[in-house]
Amino acid sequence: MKPFLLSHPDTMYNCSQVYCSHSLAHTSYPCGDPYFGSSIVAYGTQAITQQMVPQMLGLASTRIALPVELAEDGPIYVNAKQYHGILRRRQSRAKLKAQNKLIKSRKPYLHESRHRHALKRVRGTGGRFLSAKQLQQFNAELVTDAHSGPGPVNVYQKKDASEAESHPSRTGKNASITFTAISGLTSMSGNSVSFRRPEHNFLGNSPNIGGSSQCSGGLTFGGGARQCTSVGR
Amino acid sequence: MADGPASPGGGSHESGEHSPRSNVREQDRYLPIANISRIMKKALPANGKIAKDAKETVQECVSEFISFITSEASDKCQREKRKTINGDDLLWAMATLGFEDYIDPLKIYLTRYREGDTKGSAKGGDSSSKKDVQPSPNAQLAHQGSFSQGVSYTISQTFCFQH
Repeated sequence: MKPFLLSHPDTMYNCSQVYCSHSLAHTSYPCGDPYFGSSIVAYGTQAITQQMVPQMLGLASTRIALPVELAEDGPIYVNAKQYHGILRRRQSRAKLKAQNKLIKSRKPYLHESRHRHALKRVRGTGGRFLSAKQLQQFNAELVTDAHSGPGPVNVYQKKDASEAESHPSRTGKNASITFTAISGLTSMSGNSVSFRRPEHNFLGNSPNIGGSSQCSGGLTFGGGARQCTSVGR
Repeated sequence: MADGPASPGGGSHESGEHSPRSNVREQDRYLPIANISRIMKKALPANGKIAKDAKETVQECVSEFISFITSEASDKCQREKRKTINGDDLLWAMATLGFEDYIDPLKIYLTRYREGDTKGSAKGGDSSSKKDVQPSPNAQLAHQGSFSQGVSYTISQTFCFQH
């Protein structure tokens, strides 16, 4: 159980933070907070205990002390109705831990192929992926420059500039952006179809690609979230 | 959770899905974090942002909550020698665990759901949350063994009411 406790303090600290922020959102349901808190208390950590104590004192329902096995600083009191449920969940988690089935560390992405695909995608200013339309405009600009300029030299410079532009953002934000983008891709059913297409089709005008790329952009930056949701539907 | 097939675009397919130590995949234990992020964002102002560790923490909390409710319902089904957990069992489990305040809204929700009314809903948040967990209706209607999806449907509804 020691490694279990050691790995959890950070998470539990984050839990208390989340709980504090949620308190305001839950104003219309005052009873909801203690229940949510009770669920968190199942993990039995010091930070949570300190957070929960004032909340619990205000409750009128009965309190039962949990076994002190997991608690480091005295007994933890929980909702009497949830006592057996919490004990059962503790046993289930202990069993899973014995079988080495608990998730210990998270990978930055779930699927290697999707990760590689995201690495290939063209990024615009600010690091966002370009949608199908933007990609068309980008290619159109290249063609225009090729026509108006002296020729291959200009095209080469243009590509080199765009490549240099995208490299710094990729280096700096690669891990988090990729993870978020992959999460967005995972939640959309149409993406598997996109993956099956030949690579050159990504340059064309495909609704699937447009939807998925916009969705990724929305998930990466908070401002575009609503737009992403509407496109996904 | 339903997982879309990944195409072999280079690199080993299996190595990307299994951690070197154990055979447990993140998508088998947790709800998809993108759906959770979307639900969390509904409670924020337009320019609000959520840190990654906050999303992961809520992901773990809601997944544990699902297991908590489901294990209580499972105990009841075992006592009654039944193999299938249905919506009423989940409502009973929530009442037993002290979440009575959610029973009335969830009963209404379950009634409408069983009528197949997936479009009409008094609250705007309901329709979007339904679409977020689109795979669930098939699982529920077919009475398949995968009840985590059905529960996640309920959880989404629960979070909407908390707004």
